[in-house]
Amino acid sequence: MDRAAALPEWRANLATIAALMARAKNELLRVPGAAIPGVLAPTIFFLGLNGVFGALTQLNGFEVGAYESFVVPVSMLQGAGFTGAAAGVNLARDMEQGWVDRLLVSPAPRWVLLAGTVLSASARALIPATFVFAIALPLGAGWPGIDGLFVTYLMVAAMAAVAACWGSALALRFKSQSAAPLMQAGMMALVFTTTAYAPLALLQPWLRTVAEVNPVTEVIEAARQGFVGGVSWAGTWPGAVALLGLLVVLGAWALREMRRTAR
Amino acid sequence: MPAIVVEGLERAFDEVKAVQGVDLEVGEGEIYGFLGPNGAGKTTTVRMLTTLLLPTGGRAAVAGHDVVGEPRAVRASIGVALQEAALDPLMTGRELIRLQATLQGLPTAEGRRRAERLLERVDLLAAADRRVGSYSGGMKRRLDLAAALVHEPRVLFLDEPTTGLDPVSRKTIWEEVRQLNDEGTTVFLTTQYLEEADQLADNVGIIDGGRIVAEGTPESLKAEIGNPHIQLQLAEGSIAEAEEVCARIGRLLPPTDARTVLVEVANGAADIPRTVRALDEAGIGVESLELVRPTLDDVFVAKTGYHLEKENEAEQDAVAT
Amino acid sequence: MSGMATNLRVVRALGMRSIRQTFRRPQLMAPILVFPTLLLAVQTGGAGSAVDLPGFPPVQGFLQFMLAGAMMQSLMLAGNSGGIAFAVDIEMGFTDRLFAAPIPRFTIVLGRLAGTAALGLFSALWFLAIGLLFGAEIHSGVAGALIAVVLVTATAMAVGGIGAAIALRTGSASVVQGLFPLVLVVLFLSSAFFPLDLMIQPAKTIAEYNPFSFIAEGIRNPIIAEVDATDLLYALLAIAGIVVLSLVLSARALRHRLRVG
Repeated sequence: MDRAAALPEWRANLATIAALMARAKNELLRVPGAAIPGVLAPTIFFLGLNGVFGALTQLNGFEVGAYESFVVPVSMLQGAGFTGAAAGVNLARDMEQGWVDRLLVSPAPRWVLLAGTVLSASARALIPATFVFAIALPLGAGWPGIDGLFVTYLMVAAMAAVAACWGSALALRFKSQSAAPLMQAGMMALVFTTTAYAPLALLQPWLRTVAEVNPVTEVIEAARQGFVGGVSWAGTWPGAVALLGLLVVLGAWALREMRRTAR
Repeated sequence: MPAIVVEGLERAFDEVKAVQGVDLEVGEGEIYGFLGPNGAGKTTTVRMLTTLLLPTGGRAAVAGHDVVGEPRAVRASIGVALQEAALDPLMTGRELIRLQATLQGLPTAEGRRRAERLLERVDLLAAADRRVGSYSGGMKRRLDLAAALVHEPRVLFLDEPTTGLDPVSRKTIWEEVRQLNDEGTTVFLTTQYLEEADQLADNVGIIDGGRIVAEGTPESLKAEIGNPHIQLQLAEGSIAEAEEVCARIGRLLPPTDARTVLVEVANGAADIPRTVRALDEAGIGVESLELVRPTLDDVFVAKTGYHLEKENEAEQDAVAT
Repeated sequence: MSGMATNLRVVRALGMRSIRQTFRRPQLMAPILVFPTLLLAVQTGGAGSAVDLPGFPPVQGFLQFMLAGAMMQSLMLAGNSGGIAFAVDIEMGFTDRLFAAPIPRFTIVLGRLAGTAALGLFSALWFLAIGLLFGAEIHSGVAGALIAVVLVTATAMAVGGIGAAIALRTGSASVVQGLFPLVLVVLFLSSAFFPLDLMIQPAKTIAEYNPFSFIAEGIRNPIIAEVDATDLLYALLAIAGIVVLSLVLSARALRHRLRVG
């Protein structure tokens, strides 16, 4: 190849990530109704949980006025988990159909190929989050404040990236869409074995134990701050650290699986 | 320096040895035809040479770089059009080539320029803004080929580029490959069509059961087979009797169907009269008789014991039902 | 061999096929067992203190209460999965082979439903086992467990009938797949997951009229209390209603399919 025509590496990497994100956008814009399942699932859960478990706020130790406020960040994060896992399902489909070979025979660094998938999921997760938030407000969820909303969205985007790493690692390992339930169930378990339904003190003992060690509990608490009280640095950093940790661990795993596809 | 050097290349999947010790060398600027039936190890070999699959034994270098030790350098030097490499049906042809240019690290403006040139070259300019999902089989192959060329690779891998295409589309691809080769690109082409290899390849390797069973120019391989054969189509009488008669004249070859006898003869056309006489004396009716000079198929039969094209047809029938 | 015996054999063969299909494909199996089990765990653990709410019916624990909800979710997803698999059969032309065979058409649908019913049976046993394993008693004992199992199996078949009818009508797996969220909506708007009296409006009012509330109560009743004939009767009536609806829809869809080919 004409070497003079090549870009500096970092610019080529950025351009590749952008191009892969542009392609992922097609899935949303060129397939009619493609955005619906991702939006519908967390919305139904949000409405359903409120209708069914709303009375929990009458319990002693539940210091939140409206269950809507308590649950809306959970549903937004659930949407992020769902969207991220779906990115894994799409990657598995791309592997089955041979598209991923096209990416793998290119000289682009493997982390760049992974970043394209992961960042697409982050961006895409903002859609269900926004939809759920828009429905929750008129139904009685408290306004979280600009700072609270910002923190929630940050957590949503990072959670989707975590889920996409998880889904991608599984996709690259199993090379088949039959791993889809594992991608979704894993994220569901991660998001719900936390203080999703009730404050820590009201959880059953076994779940309290799990929630105390599940890093996503910190994420939910951070994303919830604005909805149930005030935003503080002390309430935010544990969630951010938890997400960063998950991202490093699952990202490294996904990258390792991508490097191992030739085995 | 040769474009591709392969020494003792092996690949096992659990217990199954798909490729067992392949040696080959492809010179710079050559078209190498890699010939074999489905499951012979063609695609497995190509996947190893293109860094998609790690060998379990042996070594291979492409464009001077080891496929295991320097995969990135290999990837930067090769263009790949894989048999099953999907073209995203949601993208347009133009978007796809531009994405490929980005993946190869070309600056945006340069990528766009090359995309236009390539779209024109493979005659897809008019369809460039249509989604790939609406393309015909031939258009998809042409687009795939164009995408593989966007960074002007030194070595081009084409895995069964014309399988399933109609004759016209096939000819178009052949012309393109020839022209690319004239411009200096080395081409590694796998195919299950003998005619394709005969038409395009400077050198041919025949792979069967994971091993190379023959290698050389098409001419040298045919010459190695040596003699032409007589092909008899029986009108009546038993094939066993006819074979018995013919065995006295020359060497019997495996038949292509139940009414045909193939016999290799030493003297070419001069052997025809006595063949006819012998059959006549035995009371065997002949519908047609012709002298066939060796083709790559004969080479194939001689090396593997069966016919490649028949194999393919049976394969396709099995898929159709 | 008599016609009836042949038909039964066909139903059995098709039923076995659909069960094998489900057990061999994790995509089909996961929604039926994994998701309801997961949800059962997190809802029991997360909302378990609900039993302390004034007005919560007397139960041994929230797990005992939730078993019926998990079974409901599982059986409805089994019905949905059956519909998806049936639609895939139609898309791939497998049902054409069956339609061309000299067997009554209804046996084809019935075969599919037999498979779905078997999955319902399996899910009922699965959740009873989970309940027992984690300490939830079946209040009415073996007889009560039997009632729950029969109700779950019958409901799976009834719901599967609706899934099959939609599959026949549309012939599209993605349409049937698209009904998946609807299953959750129907359940959230019933008393499957929480006592009716403690639900929040407007979900509460809808749940009061939702036939699936009656079925959920019918399944739950023998698990958390002595068998109550009224609860059982309402549940049976609700199931009968769904069966009638699915029969009508299936028959019409079958005629439609044979007309459009």
